[in-house]
Amino acid sequence: MTTIIELRDVWKIYNEGEENQVIALNNINLHVKKGDFIAIMGPSGSGKSTAMNLVGSLDIPTRGKIFLDQHNISHLSESDLAQVRGRRIGFIFQQFNLIPNLTAKENVMLPMMFQGVDEIKREQKAETLLKMIELGNRMDHYPSELSGGQQQRVAIARALANDPEVILADEPTGNLDTHTGQIVMKFLNELNDKGKTIIIVTHDPNLATEHAKKIYWIKDGQIEKVTEKLKGKWKTLKK
Amino acid sequence: MKIKKSVHLAWNILIHSKIRSWLTIIGIIIGIASVVAILSISSGAEKQLSSSLGKLGADIITITPGASRAIGGTGFQGGGNIAFGGVSPSTTTTKNLTSKDLDAIKSVSNIKYILGEISDRGTMGYLSKSSTVSVTGVDSTVWKEITTDTLSSGRFLTTSDTYSIVIGSNLANSVFSGISLNSKVTIEGKVFKVVGILSSGNSVYMPINTAREVFSPGSDNYDSIQVKITDDSTNATNKTITEMTKVLMMERGILQQKNVDFSISNPAEIQSTVSSTLDTISIFLGAIAAISLIVGAIGIANTMFTSVLEKTREIGIMKAIGAKNRDVLSIFLINSGMIGMVGGIGGALLGVVASGLISSLATSSSSTTTQGAGNMLGSLFTSTSINPWLLIGVVAFSVLIGMAAGAIPAYRASKLSPIEALRYE
Repeated sequence: MTTIIELRDVWKIYNEGEENQVIALNNINLHVKKGDFIAIMGPSGSGKSTAMNLVGSLDIPTRGKIFLDQHNISHLSESDLAQVRGRRIGFIFQQFNLIPNLTAKENVMLPMMFQGVDEIKREQKAETLLKMIELGNRMDHYPSELSGGQQQRVAIARALANDPEVILADEPTGNLDTHTGQIVMKFLNELNDKGKTIIIVTHDPNLATEHAKKIYWIKDGQIEKVTEKLKGKWKTLKK
Repeated sequence: MKIKKSVHLAWNILIHSKIRSWLTIIGIIIGIASVVAILSISSGAEKQLSSSLGKLGADIITITPGASRAIGGTGFQGGGNIAFGGVSPSTTTTKNLTSKDLDAIKSVSNIKYILGEISDRGTMGYLSKSSTVSVTGVDSTVWKEITTDTLSSGRFLTTSDTYSIVIGSNLANSVFSGISLNSKVTIEGKVFKVVGILSSGNSVYMPINTAREVFSPGSDNYDSIQVKITDDSTNATNKTITEMTKVLMMERGILQQKNVDFSISNPAEIQSTVSSTLDTISIFLGAIAAISLIVGAIGIANTMFTSVLEKTREIGIMKAIGAKNRDVLSIFLINSGMIGMVGGIGGALLGVVASGLISSLATSSSSTTTQGAGNMLGSLFTSTSINPWLLIGVVAFSVLIGMAAGAIPAYRASKLSPIEALRYE
């Protein structure tokens, strides 16, 4: 199974060398293989968000290397990173983060616009995706006219717009009630069953253990342990 | 991302922030409308001036009693129907122009016709209405050769006319309720027959002897002497004026140039003086319009800074889902360009309407006053000249202003870090 994303000996240090230096990540190693369902688990301030930013190519490391599909993206410019992540990674956020002045359909079309997909294809794809998440009748509604669960589903559709290999979800159920949260996680599981690589970041160990197949436990900027679900049972791997 | 997509997203931003956008756009509309109105009106005024002076005749020199304020005794001063003026030429201290002056001028070369005129104001009555009118008494033999007025009906005066008059069409139709050819009117109690109607204006022309009889019996004075010259080139005109000055000085017993008690108008000088006055006015008003445009541009910059700040989170989202820096830059730059464009189009339309309003106001005010400086000044602004290239240029310019004003905010938006932008509340 190919490694899609790898963090190799990665450090993230803010204000390096200065008095107010902060080491957010301390020599992290992380492997994401195609088809994985990974959770990055940790309390608030553990560095899990920083790890997520690096995994999602939203940021570059201070030291160490990041590989996306075997390409070293550690030194790319922001614009190049944008292009890469736009194609390969779909984001889902805790706060949904839909563009308020665009309809559901337009929101789903947006990532395709940034990749130069032509209008007809964009529209067709967006409609297909929205129907898949059972919001075909709400395509022309604005986010303010949708419930939280519906908005998150639109966000999932948007994340799938460019057929990325990886879906990166930051606390995807954080702003949803239990029932709706379960529906959203069900979608993610289905996507994983179809071969999509899913990475979720959460502070909720139940969410992680219930849905993920591999968990990176992170604390104080370091990976404490890595556990993997093998034959229904959780086993701790070497760090 | 292609421009078309940036345009779509930029337009989306514009229509979803209506109040803020429109307040900013209004600033640009006012600035652009002022520019368009000023340029159109002054262009129209220049054209009107040329045609008025053209009508006046570049080949007509006017002599009036009383020294003008200009140096050297030449320059222009008011008279009955000269371009600028309206200053009454007859005061008790000035020595009037008489038939002796007229005869003296006959000896000057380059002269085709000489017309002596007297002007006065009297009461004209037609049916039950009466009005004060300006009456000009002219030498019937020469008047039709010198005048630049055109007839709409009837004829000019002839030597056999005594109690006949030629009147302007505005007087016939607007001031009075439709005086037609061969109608009888009264002037200062005496009855006159209308033998001709001019195409425009409020003038009344009658034979000079009759005018003297009605207004100044026993007088030999002229209020002005008009001279039509054959060669109206600048050199020839100046030469003729110099000769006329000498001849008149001799005839009137004036030894020194500085003591001349008459004025000779130089058509070319009039045009350039008025033209440069118009230019000065235009530049001044144009500067004010430019200032208001600058203020409008600052308004756009302010709006864009606010817009970028408000949309920080959205910029972060867009970058997270694949927008490059230049995508974000082009969206906001085009957005501010659109604000400029909408303002430019609105301003151009408003400017056209405003210049039309100003010109019709000038028209209605000049038709109700009788002759004088105010009349002529007002009539200069009665036409507006709309140049389609001006309108296109002005819209393009305001797009540029919009983009320039939005450049820095757009740049800052493009440089936002996606992580920090996503954290923005």
